[in-house]
Amino acid sequence: MLLAVLIANSEGNILVERFNGVPGEERLHWRSFLVKLGADNLKGVKNEELCVACHKSVYIVYTVLGHVSIYLVGKDEYDELALSEAIFVVTSAIKDVCGKPPTERLFLDKYGRICLCLDEIVWKGLLENTDKDRIKRLIRLKPPTDF
Amino acid sequence: MAQYVKKDDDLDEEEYSPFSGIEKGAVLQEARVFNDPQLDSRRCSQVITKLLYLLNQGDTFTKTEATEVFFSVTKLFQARDIGLRRMVYLIIKELSPSSDEVIIVTSSLMKDMNSKTDVYRANAIRVLCRITDGTLLTQIERYLKQAIVDKNPVVASAALVSGIHLLQTNPEIVKRWSNEVQEAVQSRAALVQFHALALLQQIRQNDRLAVSKLVTSLTKGTVRSPLAQCLLIRYTSQVIRESSMNGQTGDRPFYDYLEGCLRHKSEMVIFEAARAITELSGVTSRELTPAITVLQLFLSSSKPVLRFAAVRTLNKVAMTHPMAVTTCNIDMESLISDQNRSIATLAITTLLKTGNESGVDRLMKQITSFMSDIADEFKIVVVDAIRSLCLKFPLKFRTLMNFLSSILREEGGFEYKKAIVDSIVTIITDVPDAKEGGLLHLCEFIEDCEFTYLSTQILHFLGNEGPKTSDPSKYIRYIYNRVILENATVRASAVSTLAKFGAMVDSLKPRIFVLLRRCLYDNDDEVRDRATLYLNTIGGDGSVVETDKDVKGFLFGSLDLPLANLETSLKNYEPSEEPFDISSVSKAIKSQPFAEKKAAAKKPTGLGAPPAGPTSTADTYEKLLLSIPEFSTFGPLFKSSAPVELTESETEYAVNVVKHIFDKHVVFQFNCTNTIPEQLLENVTVVVDASEAEEFEEVATKPLTSLPYGTPGQTFVAFEKPEGVPAVGKFTNVLRFIVKEVDPSTGEAEEDGVEDEYQLEEFEVVAADYMLKVGVSNFRNAWESLGPDFERVDEYGLGPRESLKEAVSAVINLLGMQPCEGTEVVAANSRSHTCLLSGVYIGNVKVAVRLSFGVDSAKEVAMKLAVRSEDEAVSDAIHELVAN
Repeated sequence: MLLAVLIANSEGNILVERFNGVPGEERLHWRSFLVKLGADNLKGVKNEELCVACHKSVYIVYTVLGHVSIYLVGKDEYDELALSEAIFVVTSAIKDVCGKPPTERLFLDKYGRICLCLDEIVWKGLLENTDKDRIKRLIRLKPPTDF
Repeated sequence: MAQYVKKDDDLDEEEYSPFSGIEKGAVLQEARVFNDPQLDSRRCSQVITKLLYLLNQGDTFTKTEATEVFFSVTKLFQARDIGLRRMVYLIIKELSPSSDEVIIVTSSLMKDMNSKTDVYRANAIRVLCRITDGTLLTQIERYLKQAIVDKNPVVASAALVSGIHLLQTNPEIVKRWSNEVQEAVQSRAALVQFHALALLQQIRQNDRLAVSKLVTSLTKGTVRSPLAQCLLIRYTSQVIRESSMNGQTGDRPFYDYLEGCLRHKSEMVIFEAARAITELSGVTSRELTPAITVLQLFLSSSKPVLRFAAVRTLNKVAMTHPMAVTTCNIDMESLISDQNRSIATLAITTLLKTGNESGVDRLMKQITSFMSDIADEFKIVVVDAIRSLCLKFPLKFRTLMNFLSSILREEGGFEYKKAIVDSIVTIITDVPDAKEGGLLHLCEFIEDCEFTYLSTQILHFLGNEGPKTSDPSKYIRYIYNRVILENATVRASAVSTLAKFGAMVDSLKPRIFVLLRRCLYDNDDEVRDRATLYLNTIGGDGSVVETDKDVKGFLFGSLDLPLANLETSLKNYEPSEEPFDISSVSKAIKSQPFAEKKAAAKKPTGLGAPPAGPTSTADTYEKLLLSIPEFSTFGPLFKSSAPVELTESETEYAVNVVKHIFDKHVVFQFNCTNTIPEQLLENVTVVVDASEAEEFEEVATKPLTSLPYGTPGQTFVAFEKPEGVPAVGKFTNVLRFIVKEVDPSTGEAEEDGVEDEYQLEEFEVVAADYMLKVGVSNFRNAWESLGPDFERVDEYGLGPRESLKEAVSAVINLLGMQPCEGTEVVAANSRSHTCLLSGVYIGNVKVAVRLSFGVDSAKEVAMKLAVRSEDEAVSDAIHELVAN
């Protein structure tokens, strides 16, 4: 299960958080845990360079893209490698929508589109689409070209 | 929503947020544009984005707000704008309307689901599945089945992923789709195959044969996506695990497949296969080698995720097969300087497990520079690993002890400091040469220790160990400093420690008296009371001194009771005329550490759920048995064994047995768990065949009325045996019950059931079951107090053994007694060893045992067994145990 997708700005303010199968009372804990993890480790990290950690049986893969940081949390089959696959899809979709690694402003300008992308990529904790070109078409309700 | 911060207006344009000053109320007002007769698609999309922004920040809508927005949103189905339609699908899912509201959109969605535009269909399927209930699902089931085999991968994936979610809520419907899903597994589209494989396995997960067939066919065929390949590897290892449980012999099935995956082009697949191989039960080093080789390559990968995954897996392998991992040591050492601290910590702890004695010094040098820049939680892991290393290579204690003392002086939180102190104490206990140096390190630490708990622990330990050193006087200064400088709790501890020195070291007595007399004027009453008491006991106030033996017994003697048991009994004691009776406290030691380890090994069910607090098992058992009328006349419970598993893990029914020993009876408690959701078991009993246990006669059975899925229950069988006699025997068992089918959607069971049986493993009652593990704090005193009257000494040849350590632990397990003074630890490479054991045999007979072992170059182990007890017959019985 892909337990959480969380995107924050460089100060640690949440821009997007989508939890799956995480009880409401644990979300706040996860939010602050992830933001702290990013504050401790993301300084000086290059765009899309992946950081990784595990907490109990849960894996966390996170990175920086422009002025936003992206965190993915998973368990069981979504281990560190599956998460790095998923975060690659997320980062390429965001870059695609924004045209470049986004500033916070650009990210918020394209907020609706980004939500649609995330909706195509992760659906209730399962990875659904992984191809950025297909995702680009799907969010405009255009059929995929590659079948 | 706490994290959202409004931006200041004076920030420049680039930083200005389009959602600046956003407020839920205002957005809900804006949402009225959805009702306009002339829809402005652009505006509507913007408002939906704002709603999404609020929801994604963790904001919630009240029921009325959500309903209102939902109804307005449904109007947007009239709009022709494609972008807006996509947003509508998303916001409906996010709003998750209640079942009575859903009806308003179902017709629109059903229309979309049959639309000519494939992408409308995919989205409609996802929305419908998100908001649907059982009845609606039966209406659309036909379309979903078609969608699963649709040629458009987007539609097929949408239906399959929906199936995975729906399986949780409506399993009986989704299970009917297995033919279609089976077809989708063969799809040429990579992701469709991935989703279909996941769904098919979940549909069939309770049918081992079907999963095995699925794995067999797919491992021979083509799997298109790396993600699907990873799933297949996981399912394959599950099949391997289950087939090895069934006791199949010969070559391991599917190993070749796993090994082949190590050459896959995707790193994800390679890693998954390598991990699967390392986790095979009873994996041989020949099987491990190729997996270790690829993991070693990953260690020097430029991708942190790969390095992390590899080092994490190797760290696990090092626990069971340290030799297999040594080939990676050089790569592992370079990871100590890895930027990612998790990777570095894992590398270090792995090296500590796999390193050889000669490399310890170099390794410690590297670790020292690394310790300063990691968090406490990582440091604790390292400290624990260092403790294990020191026990493995006792000759290296100087280096390791110096390291521990240096980190003890640095900054750190309580848990970290406690871990270091615990490690030093363990090393002092197990490595005699480390004692004096270690005690001094601890003394220096308490000179500047901010944690009362740690200070008192160290003072207590110092009191027990310090007087036995060559120069006890050097510790007095550190101890008395505590009396001058610390808080009352620490001062009281220091007074007790001083008294211990006084009692044990005659030459120090006069000086200790002076110090203790000063404590009589302390401003805390506990400190004063202790000082008075000890002065009185050891004769510092000029009174008639009690005998030396009594004094030491008072100061050093333990209560011979586990403190946790005493605590529970005291809590249960209600103040009355009748004084508290210490003999009523159970002496059984709970094997808590093992239980904790087991619990830790289990997969956690949720995120960060706190572990259940430890419960006193001995107490719980006694209460439980007393509450059953059939057993209430059996008298006090002597001992309860640890649970013995009678089934393999992950079988249909999990059963283990706890053996409760009474004076004239034995009660077997069978703990049963039903792991099949579709079944309810009733009238559950265990039929025990005692034909190989002649002295036992069955007297009572207590069946379990009902055993629903997932809730453990107990059934009991009681046997009578000759009083006070340690009767032994073997028992074969069959679980007998009435099984009823359960409708998973309603949870109701059918009226009629079928009788059924399930074969369980056999178990034995052995002599060790009649021995209570009761430790003594001073073995010498215990040994001498038992006297030589009933001492029995004999010598035994134990034949060639794997190692001296193995022989010692085998004899300890055979006797079931408590090792004393850390003598269960055998120094590496030693050729002889003495082990001291104590216990209480059935009939409340105290027993002490001295075991002297010797091993020759051919690994032949000889043992001298000396037993003292309060009863001649018991001393003989212990010898018989070993002789047999």
